[in-house]
Parts: sequence; C-alpha cells; structure tokens
Amino acid sequence: MAAGKVFQFKLVLLGEAAVGKSSLVLRFVKGQFQEFQESTIGAAFLTQSVCLDDVTVKFEIWDTAGQERYNSLAPMYYRGAQAAIVVYDITNADTLARAKAWVKELQRQASPNIVIALAGNKCDLASKRAVDDEEAAQYAEDNGLLFLETSAKGAINVNEIFIAIAKKLPKNTVETRPAKPVVQIDEPSSSKKKGCC
Amino acid sequence: MDDKYDCIVLGTGLKECIISGLMSVERKKVLHMDRNDFYGGESASLTLDQLFQRFTDGQKPPESLGSSRDYQIDLIPKFIMANGALVNMLVFTGVNRYLEFKKVDGSFVMRGGKVYKVPATDVEALKSSLMGFFQKRKCKNFFAFAQNYDDADPSTHKGFNIDETPIKDIFEYYGLDDNTVEFIGHAVALNKDDSYLTRPARETFDRMKLYADSLARYGSSPYLYPLYGLGELPQGFARLSAIYGGTYMLQKPIEEVVYNDEGRVCGVKSEGEVAACDFVVGDPSYFPDKVRQTGSVVRCICILNHPIPSTDNAESCQIIVPQRQAGRNSDIYISCVSYAHNVAAPGKWIVLVSTTVETDNPLKELEPGFALLGEIEARFPSKDGVFITTSYDATTHFETSCDDVFKVYRAITGHDIDFDNPPRPDQDDE
Repeated sequence: MAAGKVFQFKLVLLGEAAVGKSSLVLRFVKGQFQEFQESTIGAAFLTQSVCLDDVTVKFEIWDTAGQERYNSLAPMYYRGAQAAIVVYDITNADTLARAKAWVKELQRQASPNIVIALAGNKCDLASKRAVDDEEAAQYAEDNGLLFLETSAKGAINVNEIFIAIAKKLPKNTVETRPAKPVVQIDEPSSSKKKGCC
Repeated sequence: MDDKYDCIVLGTGLKECIISGLMSVERKKVLHMDRNDFYGGESASLTLDQLFQRFTDGQKPPESLGSSRDYQIDLIPKFIMANGALVNMLVFTGVNRYLEFKKVDGSFVMRGGKVYKVPATDVEALKSSLMGFFQKRKCKNFFAFAQNYDDADPSTHKGFNIDETPIKDIFEYYGLDDNTVEFIGHAVALNKDDSYLTRPARETFDRMKLYADSLARYGSSPYLYPLYGLGELPQGFARLSAIYGGTYMLQKPIEEVVYNDEGRVCGVKSEGEVAACDFVVGDPSYFPDKVRQTGSVVRCICILNHPIPSTDNAESCQIIVPQRQAGRNSDIYISCVSYAHNVAAPGKWIVLVSTTVETDNPLKELEPGFALLGEIEARFPSKDGVFITTSYDATTHFETSCDDVFKVYRAITGHDIDFDNPPRPDQDDE
C-alpha cells in the first residue's frame, strides 16, 4: 500500500485515579492487560499509530503519571494536546462527576479545537453498573464529545475509541504553528557530542 | 500522607521541582507539597485574570488586552542560556521532550539612552556601532585573546595567569575604555555589579565563553525561552518526578517542619498529619525563621501593544541598562516576550523591568528602563517591591539557580550529578 500522509497528534488521558486510564493505553499500545496495573506506567509517553483509509494518524499518548490523585495535575500536561480521552468507571458514579469537571477544565484551558472523547471504562463489569449509559451518551452529545463504553480488560471498544478520535481530528488544516520555528534542544553541548552525526 | 518518605519538598518553584525530579530518578521516595493550588510558587506564570487578582484591588482586565487564557505572564523574568546549566539539566533528565522552546530574538545593551545589539565575538565587535573605530580594534583583539586562550597552550596566555591576574589588568592591557569594559562586563559576562573587576580573570573568561557558546548554538541571541512561559519549567520537572513515583499534593497548608530531640528534621506537618522523612527541601517562604533578607529586587510587569523600539521588531529580547548608564550601582534588566511564545494575546508584548533595590523609592529606580519601552498599555509593579534574593535574584538567566540546585543535590546525596549517565524510563518508547 502506498503509505499515505502521517499526522502526529498529542493525546492526553484524564480522569479519576483507578478508572483505568493507563490500562486503556496499555491495551491500545501493547495489546496487554494487567489485573493489578501499577498506578502509573512509568513512561514519559507512548506512541501508537492508527491507519485510516488514506492517512496514518500517530498518537503521542501522555499519561498523568499519577498527578491527578490529589488534584495536582500540572496544566502543562494538556498544553498543546489535540485530543483527550476523559475516562470514568461505569461502576462508580462519582468518577463521572469528576470526568465532567475535567471536560469543563479542558474547554476552559486547553486548545479550542481539542477533540474530546468520553470513555465509560470497565464495561465488562455490567453487573456492578452505577452509571446509565444513556445518561452519559446524552451528556456527551450535549457537549460535543465522542462517547463509547470501553473495557481495557475485555478489549472492548479500545481501538475503536482511538480510531473515532483519529477520524475526527482535522487533517487537512495546516498546523497552526508559531511563525518562527521551535528549536530542538537535545544535546547538552555541541562540544561534548557523543557518537556520530 | 502519614507515611515515611526519604525526602519531602515544599514549594513547587523551579529549583524545588528540579530537586524533586532528581531525587525521584535516584529512586528516593519523594513527597512534594505546595500551599498554592498551582505549580511554580514565585516562578509561576499567571493568566491575565490571575495577574489582576494578585496586583490590583479587584479590578477586571480591560477588553483591550484580549482573552485572559491567552496570557502566561512570568512573575520572575529569566531566560535560559542556550549552552548553560539548565539546558544540560533539561537534556540530562529528558524534560526537554515535554516542552518546546524558541530562541530569543536579540540581546541589547543601552548606551547614552540608545539601544545597541550586544557584540560577543571578535567578528561582531568590528561590525558594532557601539564603539568608535579604535575601540573596535582593541575590543576585537581582546575578544580574540579570550576566545583563543587555551589552558594547555602557554603561547596563547600572553604572559597572563588568568587564575591570578584581575580582569581589570587585562582590560587595561588591551586599552579598553570604560564604555567597552562596561558592555563586556555587564552585557556579555552578565555581572550584576562591578565587583568582578578585581577578581581573577578566569571568572569573566568563563562567563564570556558561556555567552559566546550559547550564542553560537542558535544564533541571534544566547537565550532560549519555553512556549507558554517559564511556569512550564517547574511543571516539566514535576512531571519527571511523578513519572518516577513522586507524590504531588497542591493546596496543602504546611503547619510546621518537625524536628526531633537532636534538632534534626524528621517530618512535615500538614492539616494535622505528620509525614516522616529524612530530608526536607523547600523554598525560603516555608522557613520564615531560618532566612535572612540579603537584599531586595524590584520588578514591574508591563504590557505593550508594540515591540520595544529599536529592537528590530523583536518578538523577544533582553536589554541591559548598565549601572553607570543610569547612575546606579547595579544594572537594570529588561526582558521581553510576546504572543509569539503563547504568553500573550495576539499583538501584545510582555516586558519585565527589574533591578536590585538601592533607594526608598524602588519603582522610580526602574524609570530608565521604562523610558526605552515607548507607550506602556498596563503596568503591574511587584506588590511589595521586596523579594528575598536567595530565592530568585535579579539576574536574567538561570545559572545561579542551577548552582543552588547542585549544592542541595550534593548536600543530600553526597555526590555530584553524573551528567554522563542520564536516566531514561525503561518503558519509554523513543
């Protein structure tokens, strides 16, 4: 297949602690699930691509690194993010309230064109359901959010939610980059350069 | 929170966040708290609403300034030396990957009320209109000597021992006049006052080299600035700390630092609970009875709807007003950034004018700086005009801040940072 254009986007995950943010990422990126996932995945960010018909969308996925636990997430985290998945746990109604607060925060502080998806995670635990899916769907519709119930454990709708975001992200517009280029700082000092270039 | 930690860090200013990040990377268990509900402490960047809240009595920002969220206004004006200690730290820790930087457009110095680009190399010295014909030659020769000086090659030393000879003597040897010495000492070597003149020349040579090497990295100026403002820096290092397991709590009132019977610190009390620890690191505001005021700095935030005149329409720049030019004992620093760095609404520039306080009327001391700015749309003088300089001094870069970090790091761990072995999270993708 003739490789189409590749577009890269920063995607962040938000939501109450223990709703399964990292699990969704691990399922999507590595196809894995761990019952007792450590509270953070210990990486700066992970990348994974989604192929659409004519283009490839590469996600740079940022994890909260646990900073949400005491309401201490740094705004830098969602700075410049083009997409966000706001996650709640369908077995815990409080987590939906928290998710709604995050949506508000993003609408107030993040870039105006950010694509937001609401994920009702742990939908494999239907017997313990505490959040009505229609209620969540209505809220999502009212606020212009994508919405899916997901299960990182059961691999339900995980790829689907990333694909839905990939489809909705604007790919024809030229990136609104600042006029002057951003510099890359990646070597401590030109004189101490290691290896070849 | 009533747990045992290796290290508790109080305040989320840049220095504290770097320490926290480095400690977590070393697998120390870190608890990091701040009494505010935002990151950055005194090195935070504020939106327009937050700025008005802090500096006015309940005034609302006028509509002419645009949307509040477009602003990220630094409280402490600093730029990053492109080849300096903070860049090394950013690369060493990988925090450079979380942030984006732009180079600062220009570095200027005031002479006789006019603004000139700072020449930093022998080639630039010859082109500069800052000096007359003969001084240009002399200055070029001096720069060439400083650039070519090689410890290992005595033929480059011209008979000087730079570890003993005061820089003043070398200036004299090259026949530099007061004006030339002034811009080299203040705008290139970035000294705050004239005490350096009698100290050994190596210090000034090292500072000149830092400036020249930084300038050589990206051109146009030796400085870098992060998009969205300086407040992103502490947040970047806080994220590093969190990734390595550091625990973050904002909006935590700190009641007291707890000491044991031997007078050694053993914990921190907040909201009635005590978290135990071996070390406490914090900004001076958390230790009111342990700090002594060593000087004060006056700063004024100005918003302009135009670039600073005579700076080639720079989107960002630094201007140094050397002490003598303003009849003072310490320099006035002007730093300017704009909408191009995502820190102001379209068409707006943010300028910070600052200096070390010398009189009873600190704001008036800034006037030679204001005079260079043209029309000023809004001004916000620092509320009380007094900051403790051990927190953030009047210099316009981070080199002294990094020195503090190195000292604290050494005090806790007993060794220096090993810059040759950067940490990398195992599961990191790239």
